[in-house]
Amino acid sequence: MPSFSGHLSLRAATRAHGRTVLATQSFRAPYHISKPYWDAEIRTLHVQVVNPTAGILAGDRLESEIAVDAGAALLVTTPSASRLFHMRDGVAECRQHFSVAANAWLEVMPEPLVPHRASRYRQVTTVEVEPSGELLFVDQLMPGRVGHGEAWVWDRLQLELTVRVGGELALRERFDQSGEELRQLAALAGSGAKACFANAILIAPAAVASGEPPWRAQLSALHRDGVWAGVSPLRRGGWSLKIVAPDTIHLRKTVREARQILAGYFPRLGCDTRKL
Amino acid sequence: MNSVSATSTEPWHGRPARGSENHGQNARATSTWLVGLLQAGDSFYPTGSYAHSFGLEPLVQEGVVRDRATLRDFIFLSALPALRHTELPLAAHAWHAFGGANWSRIGELCVLSSALKTAREARAASENIGRQRAELMATLRAHPLAQEFLTRASVESWPHSASISAALEGRVLGAPLTAVLAGISYATLSALLSAAMKILRLGQNASQSLLTEALGASPALIAAAESTPFEEIGWFNPWLDIAAARHETADARMFIS
Repeated sequence: MPSFSGHLSLRAATRAHGRTVLATQSFRAPYHISKPYWDAEIRTLHVQVVNPTAGILAGDRLESEIAVDAGAALLVTTPSASRLFHMRDGVAECRQHFSVAANAWLEVMPEPLVPHRASRYRQVTTVEVEPSGELLFVDQLMPGRVGHGEAWVWDRLQLELTVRVGGELALRERFDQSGEELRQLAALAGSGAKACFANAILIAPAAVASGEPPWRAQLSALHRDGVWAGVSPLRRGGWSLKIVAPDTIHLRKTVREARQILAGYFPRLGCDTRKL
Repeated sequence: MNSVSATSTEPWHGRPARGSENHGQNARATSTWLVGLLQAGDSFYPTGSYAHSFGLEPLVQEGVVRDRATLRDFIFLSALPALRHTELPLAAHAWHAFGGANWSRIGELCVLSSALKTAREARAASENIGRQRAELMATLRAHPLAQEFLTRASVESWPHSASISAALEGRVLGAPLTAVLAGISYATLSALLSAAMKILRLGQNASQSLLTEALGASPALIAAAESTPFEEIGWFNPWLDIAAARHETADARMFIS
């Protein structure tokens, strides 16, 4: 099976009329992008990053660089889950870098990662936000192909996230657990064999400065019916929102509700992720 | 008459022979750091850790930890891995950095320690205990390393960290790395079990049994943590992070974290 050395580079910038456009773009398989959609009401450009292959295979090397220039607003989604396929040998690796300039907005809302049996994958994500920039980054993880009764059986899954605000380290997270370790934690917490996760980072330094946000209690109220949800301020510039749900349906519903709550305070989140 | 010269060594391990002058010096040095670590790890030492449950109280409130069996699961599935992948490697890197006066690395480790804790209470607990430990070391021992660390942390706005202050204690006392990491393991586990006794129906013998079992796993964790690369520091438990986040706004609570 041939492996890919994929590459994606996007830079969103504003033009004289105030609209955000893709000022530069380049990509190589398996990456492809949709035709961008300008949401005139929300004033955000929506781009869908598409992987036209079945998923991620052994040996794949994916690199992406998405930058939002000063004053621009961009929403990046994917149309379907990213499947990490069985790997007889070798590993797949994805390195993604996001940067948000002053007074710019970036939302990254991909569909979940689904690690299949014996997959080996490393994802390194770095995010840099200028002090007046804003960002919502959401990563979702399924335990496997639960519909086929396959869960927690990846070989190795490494997910690394580094967030800097104004050049200072605000968050560092590192997931490198075996499926069995996570399955046991899920059992202890009562989340069950199909537990799914969403890890959201909201960076909004100006809002942080204004104290306890009114939406915190609303997000905390999502903690019900077997769903775990917790919000806490990061050491710099934003908040961490973590969600654990007993299955995919509950996770999708809770993430959608969280986004709706936040949209009342961050209007760019009103951009419809399913418009494309 | 003792025929062993002052510099002779026991042939099988190269250590100074019993009764030699070097053996006496080494024994005194070992006693010095050992009593210092015992002092720093004792519940009588005022680090403030007695006021924290390190995420246990919110997990009890969520019904996850309910009894001895689930507490044991929590220790082996969460507390020990967190030591193995985060706190012990942080301390190991800091111990090396203090030894080489690598202040930029120490600053980097302080910030990393803070950034690895997404829940504010977990960060605050580590910062408060770490500050208290560093200040005690500077005050009680009047050691220039501790004083310089405090000065630099203040000037550079480094967040304090319990693990990094434990490494500082080790360097001030002259303790080897393995002993420092063993001290952290003991202090962490005993503080957790001490909190558990206040929250759960758990007696002293049961908690000592759990402590003994958990400490039995510590040597392997310490050995692994000593060789953990800087970029591999960190561990993930979303339930603990969520519980800690929710504890920040809990209506009733006994512990700060």
